[in-house]
Order: sequence, then C-alpha cells, then structure tokens
Amino acid sequence: MRYCILGMFVFMLNGVVTAQNCSYTLTITVVETHNFSPVYPSVVFVEPLNKSFETNERGEFVMDKVCAGEYTFHVHAVGYMPKVDTLMVSGSRPYKIKISLEDHQLKGVEVTGQRQQTVLQPKEQMNREGIVAGSGKSLGDLLQAVNGVSTLGNGATIVKPVIHGLHSNRIMLLNNGIRQEDQQWGNEHAPNIDPFLANTITVIKGAAGVRYGTDAIGGVVLVEPAPLTRKPGWNGEVNMAGFGNNRMGAFSGMMAHNFKKLPALSFRVQGTYKQGGNYRIPGYWAANTGVKEVNYSAALGYKKLHYGAEVFYSHFNTHLGIYRGSHTGNMADLTNAINSSKPLIPATFTYEVGRPKQHVSHDLVKAKIYQDSRIGLWTMVYGYQHNFRQEYDVLRKENGKAQLNLTLNTQTLNLNLDHKPLKGRISGQAGIDAVFQDNFFRQGDRLFIPTYRSFGGAAYLIERYRKNNWQLEGGLRYDYRWYGVYNPEGNAQTLVYYDFLYSNPSGTLGFNQQLKDNWQWGVTFANAWRAPQASELFSAGLHHGAARVEIGNKSLLPEQSYSLNAETKYVFAKKLTIDASVYSQLIDRYIYLEPGKDLLTIRGYFKTFNYKQTDAMLNGADVSFNYRANEHLDLFVKGSTVLGKDRTENEWLVLMPSDRVMSGIKYSTTISPNVTNCFFGIDGKYVFQQKRIPSYFDVIDFPRPPKGYFLLDLSAGGDVHLGKQPLNISLSVLNALNAKYRDYMDVFRYFIDQPGTNVVLRLNLPLEFSKS
Amino acid sequence: MKKNTTVLLFALSAIAISIDACKKPEPAEPAEQELITTMKLIVTDGSSSQTFTYKVENGLGSTTGGSTQIDTIKLAPNKTYSVTTELYNEKENPAENITLEIIEERNDHLLLYNSTPASGAGSISFTNGSKDKDGNPFNQTISFTTGNAGSGSLQVNLMHEPTNKAGTTPAASGGETDAEVIYPVRIQ
Repeated sequence: MRYCILGMFVFMLNGVVTAQNCSYTLTITVVETHNFSPVYPSVVFVEPLNKSFETNERGEFVMDKVCAGEYTFHVHAVGYMPKVDTLMVSGSRPYKIKISLEDHQLKGVEVTGQRQQTVLQPKEQMNREGIVAGSGKSLGDLLQAVNGVSTLGNGATIVKPVIHGLHSNRIMLLNNGIRQEDQQWGNEHAPNIDPFLANTITVIKGAAGVRYGTDAIGGVVLVEPAPLTRKPGWNGEVNMAGFGNNRMGAFSGMMAHNFKKLPALSFRVQGTYKQGGNYRIPGYWAANTGVKEVNYSAALGYKKLHYGAEVFYSHFNTHLGIYRGSHTGNMADLTNAINSSKPLIPATFTYEVGRPKQHVSHDLVKAKIYQDSRIGLWTMVYGYQHNFRQEYDVLRKENGKAQLNLTLNTQTLNLNLDHKPLKGRISGQAGIDAVFQDNFFRQGDRLFIPTYRSFGGAAYLIERYRKNNWQLEGGLRYDYRWYGVYNPEGNAQTLVYYDFLYSNPSGTLGFNQQLKDNWQWGVTFANAWRAPQASELFSAGLHHGAARVEIGNKSLLPEQSYSLNAETKYVFAKKLTIDASVYSQLIDRYIYLEPGKDLLTIRGYFKTFNYKQTDAMLNGADVSFNYRANEHLDLFVKGSTVLGKDRTENEWLVLMPSDRVMSGIKYSTTISPNVTNCFFGIDGKYVFQQKRIPSYFDVIDFPRPPKGYFLLDLSAGGDVHLGKQPLNISLSVLNALNAKYRDYMDVFRYFIDQPGTNVVLRLNLPLEFSKS
Repeated sequence: MKKNTTVLLFALSAIAISIDACKKPEPAEPAEQELITTMKLIVTDGSSSQTFTYKVENGLGSTTGGSTQIDTIKLAPNKTYSVTTELYNEKENPAENITLEIIEERNDHLLLYNSTPASGAGSISFTNGSKDKDGNPFNQTISFTTGNAGSGSLQVNLMHEPTNKAGTTPAASGGETDAEVIYPVRIQ
C-alpha cells in the first residue's frame, strides 16, 4: 500500500459516497493500548464506506480521498478485543485506534476470516480503484503500473508479469489464496485470472518462498477478491469498458447479498464478458489477434463470532487468436518475417479467430473453514483447480481438432495457525501445505509436456518480534516434491518412466524500523528454491514463433536463490515521498537455454537449444518520487533497473527487461456537488533499449533488441451523481502519439509492431439496494 | 431455500470434480502432427523413369533421428524431363501419401524449385508447372530442362498458405514452409 497509494494515482478513480469535499487523507494506526505497539495483522471495517482495510507492518492503513462526515471503524485482530470507534472527519489527519489484548477468554472476539497473506518484504498494492481504472486490461498489463514489474508477451493479448527480471515459473500467482496452477511454463501462457474479480492486487517483490512455497524466487502476485459483504441487503457493481483499437468491449457485473435474518450468511456472484477483434498497429491490422473471454464466479460465506466457512468457485474461459505471421515453418521463413518492413500477413478488421489459436479454461473450487481458539486462529483451505489448454496449430487441412489438449489438475491443502501474540510482542504463524498434481495430454497430441504426476508437502513457521519502533521477522520452511513422469522417447516414442524427488529447506530474515515519523527503512534476506519443471526436463519440440527446437535436460537440479533487499521511505515536508529499494539476488543453478547443434529436418536446418544451468546474479533498484503539490495537483517519477549476469561466464543474461522510467501529472478537482473527483492526467513512459546482452547474442538470436520507445497516455474522468446514484466515467487515450515500437520482451518483436493508439471509455456503476 | 440450493450446487460440483480428479490418467502417446518425412521427385524422359528421394525421418517432436537419405539428382545435359513431386510420411506403416492431400488443398499450397547455379553448367530450369483450381501456380508436376554438364544443387520448397502464388522463391511467395529440401545435382 505504501508505495502505491500515491504512485498509482494517475490510474486511480475513486468510488464516491457523498457529494461533498472528498479530498482528505486519513492515516489510521491500530495500536495496543498499553505499549502502543502496532497491531498487525488487523482488519478494519469502515462504515459507511462498507469497505475493509488491512493494516500493514506498522499497524497502519491509509484511506485516500475521504469525504467529510462521520465514520465508524470496526477493528478485528486475532488475540485482541474487538473495538468500535467513531471519528468525525473534517480534514486530513492521522488517527490512532487503541485496542487491548483479550483476556484468556474467548468472549467478544470476532474472527475475521481474513488471514494475513503478506510477509515483511517489499511490496506494492493496487487497490480496487486502480483495478477499475484499468478495467478490461489483462492481469499482466494491469500490473505494469507497479514499479519493478514489466511484462513478457506475445503481442497485446498474451501478457504475463515479470517481477525484478523473473517470470513464468519463477513467480507465483495466488488467486484468492490458492496458488494458481495454470500451466504458465511457456511464454505464450498468460495467467488465467479475471482481474474484474480482484479487490486488491499485491505484488511481493523478491523471493518469498517461506510463506508461499517453492518456485517463488522472483516474487508473488496476490489477487484477492473483496471480503463478502456484512451489510444486510443487496449491493453490486457494473463495469463496462470499450476499447477503440481492437473494438473490444468488456462487461462485468457483480451482485452481493447479506441475509438480514441470517446475518452470518453472505454470497456474491460475478461475471465478465470480453470480446475484441484484430488489433491495429501503426499502419496495419494484426492478422488473427482477436480475443474472447467469459468468466464467472460465485462465493458463499458463513461467518460467526469464533468460526466460519467459505466456498468459492470461479471459471475462466478464453479464446485467443495468435498473430498468423508468428507461425513460421523454418529459419528462412523467420528471416523473411524479420527482414520485412511490413506485416507479411495482410489483414482487415474481424472478430473472427482462426488458426493458430488457443482455448484455455480454468476452474477453481475453494473451500475454507476457520476457527478461533485459545492459541489462535486455525484455518484450513482446500483448493481444486482444473486447467484445460487447447492449442490449434496451422494445418495443411482443417480437421476441426486441437493439436494439443493439455489438462492440469491440482489439489492443494493448507492448514495454518496464526497464534495469539506471545507477551504482546511475538506474533506469527505455522502451517503445513500439501499439493497433488496430474498433468496429461490426449492420445495423438503433438508432444509438448509429458504426462506426469506430482506430490508435494511442506511445513513452515514464521515469527515476528516487535519492540519499540522496530520489528524482526524470521521464517523457516521445509519442502518436499516428487514427480513421476512418462516420457515418450526414441523413434517409436515408447513411454519411459522417470521419477524425481527434490527436497529443500528455505529461510527468511527481515528487519524493519521506523526511525522517525517520516522515515522508515527495512532489510530482508530471503532464500528460496525452485525444482526444474517438466518442460525444462523433457521438452523436445519446435517453437514455431522462434523457429527453434528446445531440448530438455533430465539431469537438471533445483535452482537455489539467495536475495538481499533493502528499502527506505522518506517523506519531505509532508509533500514529497521518496521510496527506494535495492536488491541483489544470487541464483545458483539458474536454468537457461544454451545453443546446441543445428538439427536437419525435412524443413531444413533448425537451431537447437539445450537446457543448461549456470550461476546467475540479479541486481536492481526501484525508485519512486511522489509529489503532492496541493490537494489538486500530484506528480510522480519512478524508474526501475535490473542487471542480470551469468556469474560463471561473466556475461549478461538474455531476456532481461531493460531500464524504464515513468512519470505523470494529475490534476483533480470537484466541479459541483454532482460532479466530483474530476481529474485530468498525463502519463509518460520511456523504455530504454536493452544493451546489456551477452557477447554471443548474435549466435542465439536475431535481430538485436529493439530500440527504446516512449509512450504517452492521457486520461480524464470523474464521478457524476444522478440523484443518489454515483456513476464513474473515464476516457483514456493509450499510446496517444501512435508510437511505432517493439519490445525486447515481446515474442512478436520479430514480426510486428506493438498496438497503436487505443481510446478507452470506462464506466463504473456501484449499486446499493439497502433498505432504509 | 435459495441458499440451500446454492449449497447443494456447490457440493455437487465439488463432488463431480473430485470424481474427475480421481480418474487415473492413462499415459497417452503423442504423435507428431502432419509430419512429412520424405520428398520424392519422379523424373521421366519419356522412356525411362528415375526416383530421387530426400528423406529425413526425424520428426520434430522426437529428439532421436531416424534414417536420413539424400539422393543425388543425376541427369543428362541439355534435355527436358517431366517431373512429379510426391510427399510421404514414412513413419506411418504403410507410408502415408501426403501428395493426395496437398493436391486436394492445392489452392493453399505451392511447390517452388530453385536451382544453383540458376543457368549454365550444372543448372536446371523449370517450365510447365501445374496450376491450382484458380489457374495459379501449384507446380506439383513440372518440366526440368538441364543445362550443360556440371554440378549444382536443387532446392524444393513446399509452401503453405503463400501470400503470393506468383512468387518463385519462398521469400517472394510468402507463407509457411512445410518442407525445404536441397538435393545435390550432377549433370553428366
């Protein structure tokens, strides 16, 4: 939250409740009555906003753009007496809420059910307003607003996040607390998550393996839906977004209800429909780049004083066209595409999607029960995920079938105890994780990933000691992971069975100190590991986009990561906020692709690449400046850099995002009681050319990374009040200069430019049906 | 009542999915899609016929190579031959004749022949290529006219969905290369 609340302001449109002066900022701190130590985690429900906030490590949370009026805070924290506090707001101010440790009785403690998800580590949060302001974008695209996050893509429709230079299986997505298992091993596999469902998106930068499990050596993205409504009656929200560039429409609706006669019971249903056609790059249409997405979800919760239960189901379904010209037959085709000054495949606008295309569906069922006890809050979460991925290749003769039909079923179980604070100073959690996974394809499919089963188990303990203005956190985890693989081999493709067993400890140590009211700093050491994935062990296939053959390596060992991160935040004269973080990460046995012998096929010679391991080091920094000139004018500048090195060869690593700088200015004002929170914003982003490439780059890739580029975005919007009904409208112009550019981290850089100007109109309509 | 229905639906879907999850996956066998292993040029001079084979059995899906056979095209100088090009998947048993499928889909396919050197000793020139349904080049049958004695090479490409059927090189025709073979040529 702390980086973001200002950093995101250009993307932010605030939902508004009343038509008054709504420009106040409240910093609320929840502290223990006697020793004033911050209470973390605690959840604060604010009326009449009907919103929940979670305190950070300093026990605080910030409410932005608050209107004058009376607010009631309901504070819940495990081990503390619940507290209700009322505050009259007539200006921006900090405010402390004191709560007391409960006696050794359970009276009056309401279990929040909102288990603290985050650890003491650099993180940035995007709130609902930021998500709504970017509605219709894919998750990966949306996250670009976070400093230190870039993207890896296949054009405009397949976009995945890159955190501090790492992506795919090196970062983890938690969707509603469940680790997302959606076959994200390839760079053309975008996360199967509907951002409309999210209330907050938190990005934890850097290794966070202890709390979240193996693989998260680059970072974690937490996608959290809103807590179920506790206010009797119906409420809802409608979102609409229209995109000019690809004539895409996105509609999303949500309805939630709490039963007046049974206040413990609440439910919510939500759905999204999104369809777009070919997108436009400067001067041309991009052939076969349409998208269609249908998603829905439902949640039901039962919440009593000391216990509760929740079930959640979500379905994600997407059909994605892939630019026709990116499917190349051999090296010569690729070279022709690279050397052509215009797209090789002519196209007009259409919503139709032909081959090559993908169809992916993802189902998630989650069940959660929780119970408060003398020692703390017990939580058990079971998750089942069914991911089904179909790839339709370009065929000589249409047969209506997909050439790849991959299923990944995952079951996860987590048992966690958030224990009550010991002596008011030591808080923490302990738990166990289990995962069972099945991956298989259909008979006669093109080989991509062999059939495998996997079982994993882990135990962890994270404790935090707090004293005066500092806190220290330590965590330990032990993981065990088993794979059984049926790999087709040889000329006859006979199935050969392999099994692999990996186990490893990991640990973390963090320190955080509030030196002054306006200055804090922290340092974190984290260790994490990642087992090689099936594609790295066994892949043996042609990548049509890059016209190259990638060959797996069965002797790969797990990657080990050790990272050190230091961050500080300083506020000058209550106007200028500086956030800076630097990190250094060693990854031993970093898995990468090394060029091998050329392979003769019926389509000529192909470059081959073998999976190898080396020792890598990533160093980088994220810096942001936010300046609030007055209550109308906000400015920001932020930038990030990452330097990835192969320590063994003393060479740069390939496919590392280049440096980037973003800056923006936003003017906001209230025009009349019925037209509030109006804003106009200009945002610029410059992405530098990646010049840190290995000396052997030309042997493995062509052409060199594309030139740097500048993008300009404009946006304007506000809240209109039609009677009691607020309506939020915004209009954005993305890539306003219609810049012609390619990005090093985009696979389509060989073939076509990135999309040109895109005009986006967004409407957000909160609905309230409470009986008065 | 409504909530009970919802609970029931959740329970049912959970059960249905658990049952699905309990099915043991039978390890399936993959297959390389639309594999071409072999190109054959059947060259006749009116009286006798020769077949020149270019075979790379290595499917792109497997890491092990199968057998490779690359014949040298040996023809007499300054003579015209009629040629039929055929394509096979010899990993199937019996071998699958892909030529038939390509003839059926001839509007989406194009065969290209390029000789090095393009003229003079050791060269081959090309005329009378067959047409597709719209009268555009397809070249599944074609005439070869040899130059003076010498040696060179012949590149044959099978292009899929070419953007310009009048093109005579892969770069000019566009489309995706389904096969690209290079025969050594000796004219003697």
